[in-house]
Amino acid sequence: MVNVDKLTKEFGKSKAVDSISFEIKKGEVFGLLGENGAGKTTTLRMLATMLKPTSGAAYINGININKDPQAARFCIGILFGGETGLYDRLTVYENISYFGELNDMDKNTIKRRIEELAKAFEMEGYINKKASKLSKGMKQKVAFARAIAHDPEVMFFDEPTSGLDVSAARNVHDFILECKKKGKTILFSSHTMSEVEKLCDRVGVIHKGKLIDIGSIAEFKRKYDNESFEEIFIRLVGGKYEV
Amino acid sequence: MKFKHIWTVFKKEVKDISRDKRTLLISIVVPMVIIPLLNSFVGGGMEKLQKDINENVTVALSDKSNAPDIKNLVLNDIIADNKSIRLIDTPNASEALKQDKVRLILDIDKDFKSKIDSGKPFDISISYDKSRTKSEGSIWIVNDAISKFNKKILKERMNQLGKSEEFLEPARTKEINVADETKTSTSMLAMFLPIIIVILMTVGGVPAATDLMAGEKERNTLEPLLTTKPGRVSILLGKYFTVTLFSFITVIASVVGLIIGYILKPSSLNMGTGQHLTGFFIPLPALLISILLAIALGMTFAGIQVALSTYARSFKEAQVYLSFLMIAAMVPAYANFFTQPSDIPMYYFFIPIINTISAFKIVLGGSINYFYLIIAFVSSAIHVMIALGAAVYMFSKEKVLFRS
Repeated sequence: MVNVDKLTKEFGKSKAVDSISFEIKKGEVFGLLGENGAGKTTTLRMLATMLKPTSGAAYINGININKDPQAARFCIGILFGGETGLYDRLTVYENISYFGELNDMDKNTIKRRIEELAKAFEMEGYINKKASKLSKGMKQKVAFARAIAHDPEVMFFDEPTSGLDVSAARNVHDFILECKKKGKTILFSSHTMSEVEKLCDRVGVIHKGKLIDIGSIAEFKRKYDNESFEEIFIRLVGGKYEV
Repeated sequence: MKFKHIWTVFKKEVKDISRDKRTLLISIVVPMVIIPLLNSFVGGGMEKLQKDINENVTVALSDKSNAPDIKNLVLNDIIADNKSIRLIDTPNASEALKQDKVRLILDIDKDFKSKIDSGKPFDISISYDKSRTKSEGSIWIVNDAISKFNKKILKERMNQLGKSEEFLEPARTKEINVADETKTSTSMLAMFLPIIIVILMTVGGVPAATDLMAGEKERNTLEPLLTTKPGRVSILLGKYFTVTLFSFITVIASVVGLIIGYILKPSSLNMGTGQHLTGFFIPLPALLISILLAIALGMTFAGIQVALSTYARSFKEAQVYLSFLMIAAMVPAYANFFTQPSDIPMYYFFIPIINTISAFKIVLGGSINYFYLIIAFVSSAIHVMIALGAAVYMFSKEKVLFRS
């Protein structure tokens, strides 16, 4: 579903992402784990076609992101961490509808889809309220709904729980699991061990732009003979293990 | 690039910005209310001042001229026919002038009577206070009265000699203004209106440009937007047309403000100059070209504003850049403020901003030259393309979009 082949991004002389390759199968949750500045966001931005790769290629649903970025974007939904990025002066309905229209959905489909999403996320009570009037939790639900309004097959989550409190982070986790249940392919970046362990089928550890190891949590534990994934990660990025 | 995507972005941005009270205040309320009020205050104030200067001229005699025969000369011969001038009796004329109790002091030769009788000139010194507008502005009124007095004496003398007044006037000059009344009456409009339009064009798009680009970055709404299907150029154009629209809304609101001001107080449109605007006629092609030029100027500014706002990291940074743009736009706007429409050289029609102002001047001033207007239009179209190119360039640069 997602194939990344020697993807590289250079900013001037520094390599933010250095020839990384991995594959995510349909319905799989793949975690990209790394410290701040490791290259997670840059990788996700390249896959979301916001940044052009310096070299290498990536395919989403078989579409080459370099050759047809528009078609690739249509297949993805993305959720960024921290701020929800809603338009405060627009209502919840208008926020979701705008993204639906941008993704070429017709008005009837958008209306039907928003009704479905409002029910699924229990947003019926505030669907016509301006985003500025919503609580943080409500905004988060709107951001979820907006990200999947066009029913994308692939979802990207870029540190989605960054800066959130426990219950808000829990909402994100539940949403990711819900997406998985619906068969969506998920790429999830994080630097929190516990959520990676909880959500991901497979994990890629990224450090200084390089993907240093890939596997399931169980494979990591077996390979490095350690039950603590956190310890394994620290050792990996600390360079104490040969990979 | 798809028109549908441009239209979607445009519709959303117009709706979003229309709900921003700050933008509505700057783009619509301020020009519609402030402009007529400003014109009314400035125009009304200047009119009142001019009326006061013309109608309440107070003069005093200097201490050494304060004699009954001189007082008599002033009252009965010099100012008798001019009801605007009043002679004030004061024991200390210099102090009265300093304290603004009188505007002028007349110091008149004591021997004036004998000098008049012997055909010799006598001296009148007029003291005034240059630091006071009313004092300086009153000189010509008293000079005019003295001139009339001179003519009266001269006429008497010529009659005694059995000659007519024409004897002393071998050549007579006559000034003929060949400009038609339309040109004369609209010259003030040709001076002020283009500058007002240019300034409003730069001001009008600022809130929208700041909010739609730098604001979007600051609120973290840009990244989700960039992950939607439309290409960057479509998103940019939707935003660009919104900024252009709001520039025009400001100009239209200002024109409505001028009209409201004119309806409430017709003299507000002459901005205190006292000049009357009589009905003037602009040919349809010239009017259309002017409107197109105004649109092109709005589009040029919108392009630059969008480019600068895209470059800015934050709302505040964008406001700083756009303030500089406003100042930069005012320099050429004022550069040919005093140039008369018929004196504008051809190369002015190639220079950004100056070309539009010059075109407005020649259209409003009645000196329409279609060749010049076409040059202005073609050069404006090139400026639009350059400005839009700069905006597209900025919006496609990763380093600019994700500057932190």
